[in-house]
Amino acid sequence: MLNVIPTSFPTLLAELEVGQHLYWEVAGLKIHGQVFLTSWFVIAVLVLVSFIATRKVERVPSGFQNLMEYALEFIRDLAKNQIGEKEYRPWVPFVGTLFLFIFVSNWSGALVPWKLIHLPSGELAAPTNDINTTVALALLTSLAYFYAGFSKRGLGYFSRYIEPTPILLPINILEDFTKPLSLSFRLFGNILADELVVAVLVLLVPLFVPLPVMILGLFTSAIQALIFATLAAAYIGEAMEGHGAEEHE
Amino acid sequence: MNVMFLLAEESGGLFDLDATLPLMAIQFVILAVILNAVFYQPLGKAIDDRNDYVRSSLAESKERLAQAEKVAEQYARELAETRRRAQAIVAEAQAEAQEIAAQELAEAQREAQAQREQAQAELDQQKQQAFQELEKQVDGLSTQVLDKLLSV
Repeated sequence: MLNVIPTSFPTLLAELEVGQHLYWEVAGLKIHGQVFLTSWFVIAVLVLVSFIATRKVERVPSGFQNLMEYALEFIRDLAKNQIGEKEYRPWVPFVGTLFLFIFVSNWSGALVPWKLIHLPSGELAAPTNDINTTVALALLTSLAYFYAGFSKRGLGYFSRYIEPTPILLPINILEDFTKPLSLSFRLFGNILADELVVAVLVLLVPLFVPLPVMILGLFTSAIQALIFATLAAAYIGEAMEGHGAEEHE
Repeated sequence: MNVMFLLAEESGGLFDLDATLPLMAIQFVILAVILNAVFYQPLGKAIDDRNDYVRSSLAESKERLAQAEKVAEQYARELAETRRRAQAIVAEAQAEAQEIAAQELAEAQREAQAQREQAQAELDQQKQQAFQELEKQVDGLSTQVLDKLLSV
């Protein structure tokens, strides 16, 4: 058993498992089963809700359609603010799926009592609790903004590396590595830390005391989803715009 | 990866990157495609359609309002015109009536005058006739008186 907490509390913290995974073997490759199980749950929720919302589209929306239209308007506003009125439309599905997937993942980790389901090894938690998920999302974001830059500006995209002066060339190149790194670690760290804090508090004081921390966790989870989607949209918008590309972060 | 963290064993740990990463990426892209088909496209279309509908109805109602205002203005203009015409007609009719009344009054006066003159003339004539007759009788009587006197 691997515990984050010093080994002087072995009995008390025996349940707290970090860095343990349920390994599946697919074509000779190891994958983390618990991440996929919860991510399938998240995907199923998203697809189901979308399906219910668009089953009968009406001009005057009600029920789920209203809720999902609110979500869509929110995502559109987010993309429009970061990418710009002219270019944002093709990027709404990517940015929106980032937001929805991360948001539902985070909240499912906080709200669904996964601990009741026992796995042979590891435990079920938010998919964003695993570094693989966040790195995958961050690398996809990198690919997306490279694609956006090249499709919009062709080879002129490279000119942004020597703007405003060629002296910044190393820093600009470094940015392409720090962006996915910071994106993935920010999300991973926040979600993992939140779940650990809640778990530790639940172990120490099972009743009522962890509640404010849980609520704070819900808040930070939502904020993290928003930050990830906003930054992804900002990177895409920055890659597409011509000059003065260093406005964001 | 495992050397990075004290928590890690030879297998597992917090920073255990493996085939989960590409599979998760593929899964995410598939999710984006599915959501694009069942969520972003239909609902986006619904929102855009609604915006178009609201915009077009707004434009239409503005146009209708302008039209209604135009019609009301025309109506007011026509009303004023008709009022003026009615007043003119009334004035004209009054003038005409006055004229007719004056004319008739004058005619009646003239007629009365004429009748009076005629009556006067008749009266004069009768008076003259009566005088003549009287004179004749006087003449007759006087001759008779004379005859009588002479014959006596």
